[in-house]
Amino acid sequence: MTPKASTVSDAKRSVRRFISGQRSLLTPSILFVVLLVIAALHGPHLFTSDGLAGALIGASPLVVATMAITPIAIAGPAGVDLSIGPAMTLINIEIVLGLTKIGFTGPVAVFVFAIGLGVLLQAAMGALIAVLRVSTVVVTLAVYLVLDGLNTVILPHAEGAAPAWLSSWGSASTIFSPVLYVPLAAFVLWALISRTTFFRNIRLMGANDKTAFVSGIPLISTRIGAHVIAGVFVGIASLMYTGLIGSADPTAGASFTLSAVTALVIGGASLGGGHAKGLGSVLGAMDIWLISYVLSTFNFGLNASYWVQFTTGAVLVVSLVAGGILTNASGNRQWQEKWLLGWGK
Amino acid sequence: MTTTHEGQLGRAGRLDLRGVMTQHGSVAMAGVVLVALIAFGAFSIDGFWSLINLRSNLVFASFLGVATIGQTLCALIGGLDLSIPFVVGAANVGLVKLLNEGLPSGAGIVVVLVLAAAIGAFNGGVSHRLRGQSLVVTLGVGNAVLGLVQILVSSEGVSGISGGTIEGNIPQWIESLSWFNNSLGIAPAVILWAALTVLTILLLRRTWFGRALYALGGNQTAAERVLVSGPWSWTLVFSASAVTAAVTGILLLGYSGSGYAGVGDPYLFTTIAAVLIGGTSLVGGRGGYGLSVLGVFILTVLQTILSSYSLSSSAQEAILGALIIPTVALYARSPHPRMLI
Repeated sequence: MTPKASTVSDAKRSVRRFISGQRSLLTPSILFVVLLVIAALHGPHLFTSDGLAGALIGASPLVVATMAITPIAIAGPAGVDLSIGPAMTLINIEIVLGLTKIGFTGPVAVFVFAIGLGVLLQAAMGALIAVLRVSTVVVTLAVYLVLDGLNTVILPHAEGAAPAWLSSWGSASTIFSPVLYVPLAAFVLWALISRTTFFRNIRLMGANDKTAFVSGIPLISTRIGAHVIAGVFVGIASLMYTGLIGSADPTAGASFTLSAVTALVIGGASLGGGHAKGLGSVLGAMDIWLISYVLSTFNFGLNASYWVQFTTGAVLVVSLVAGGILTNASGNRQWQEKWLLGWGK
Repeated sequence: MTTTHEGQLGRAGRLDLRGVMTQHGSVAMAGVVLVALIAFGAFSIDGFWSLINLRSNLVFASFLGVATIGQTLCALIGGLDLSIPFVVGAANVGLVKLLNEGLPSGAGIVVVLVLAAAIGAFNGGVSHRLRGQSLVVTLGVGNAVLGLVQILVSSEGVSGISGGTIEGNIPQWIESLSWFNNSLGIAPAVILWAALTVLTILLLRRTWFGRALYALGGNQTAAERVLVSGPWSWTLVFSASAVTAAVTGILLLGYSGSGYAGVGDPYLFTTIAAVLIGGTSLVGGRGGYGLSVLGVFILTVLQTILSSYSLSSSAQEAILGALIIPTVALYARSPHPRMLI
């Protein structure tokens, strides 16, 4: 408060804040390096131009989907968006069957449509959560059920073809294609948004909504705003997913819920709210993709899917436990009180 | 000054109403919905009251009901157990494997239940250590357990699992658990469920431990100040949840006669839906298993009605989801931050 004590302790404070902020990236980074080493030894195909292109389109839907649920995790408390998988599936179906049928197949129309639908879905959920004050898990669980059911009712079996420019993403053989540029643009967008005052308000609300409230932050619009940001990325993730599979598939997308939540947690997000990093989520998602890639280089035959399920679950638990030890779960509350309370001014 | 006064009056009025709503509202609401659904079913569906329909509905309700015991206990302390469907599936295929290996059926069931208790204890202990992040912990543990069990089960060629299904010689007495029994006049599974229901309600209402769970769900810090052990309670509750899930897996094995790893899938969302629709809040501290029993019956009757209109299971899923938000919004809203300062 007093100007006298400020300079030294402020510098110390910001250094310590920086370190404690980056600590959450430790687990996903270590895991990333370990997986890369195993991949290099056991499946060097990954490091060819073809392999990298395949990795890009294979991993990018999950990478963007994990970024999409990150602002919701930050807005907390217990901000787990379970609806992400069915939401992506719905947008996938609507792009391939709805939009293409009425004749809009150009990139601009498809981008605007996908992002618009994502924002609409998320804004509706955000409004329900904020206005009714029902917990995020309950609302997103209900929306998961509604959308998952609806998707199969709309489209019982996989069919249709995505616009040619979009489905060509799935077969790109070089890394310098829209499959690289679109996720990169998404990440730049993330970097810009996460530096705004509005985003800082979301963080404060997630860390402590009482403090946010007495600081004069409008809780309802801030929460809806967090969902609107999420919706933009949900739209982009659905686009990448549609490019990957090249058609409309009513069921395959639901598994994105488990993968994205796992990636989010591996990426160091605190589900208590207030603390999650876009870079962590990206790393976490790439970890998940690498795990399934590495496993696919072993000869598990019919057991392959069981190994993926086992390893994903085990990695989630281990990274939770490791993250809890590294970031010192009990110290986290002190961290919130010390630093975040100061930000609300 | 006037505005403050009015504000307080309004606040007091709302609080009162909320108190009444939470004490009696959820029972009344769930009861009214259940009676309305039964009346609707009775008028619109031929054979709704037929013995065969009632019997099969009761058996299905008992599968869901047993698994919901664990979910209710977890919800009461402010947790959520997403590992239930995986434990149901793992117990289901694991028991078949143990029987195929030549273990006596009684010993096999004991092994399955003990392993389930250990898995649940891990869930609870770690979740508590990580300040209540039970959702992701149980999601991870559940996937790891079911994946591992399937790997272990599939290792032995012929008697192993294929396409998620495993065949085996299920003893007669396990099969008879889930089917109508002439001498009892009801399926043993229903009796088991009724007994567990009475035990759970007594545990929650009449024992120190049960009251401690409510205290813990209401305010963890306050509960620990009066010597309720958070870590122990979480461990025991999640352990109980995994055991009830395993029991459901065994009952389902008896019902279908062969093991299937995905048999638990519907129980992820239906157990949570039964808890929520009954009126137990996921935030903790409010509700009870009696309410969840109402929730289980509501879901079962609703399923019968929707199936009779030949709605697909996906359409039923969508309708179930659409029911959850209004139900929770009616009596399980969290307070505005302003009330907590």
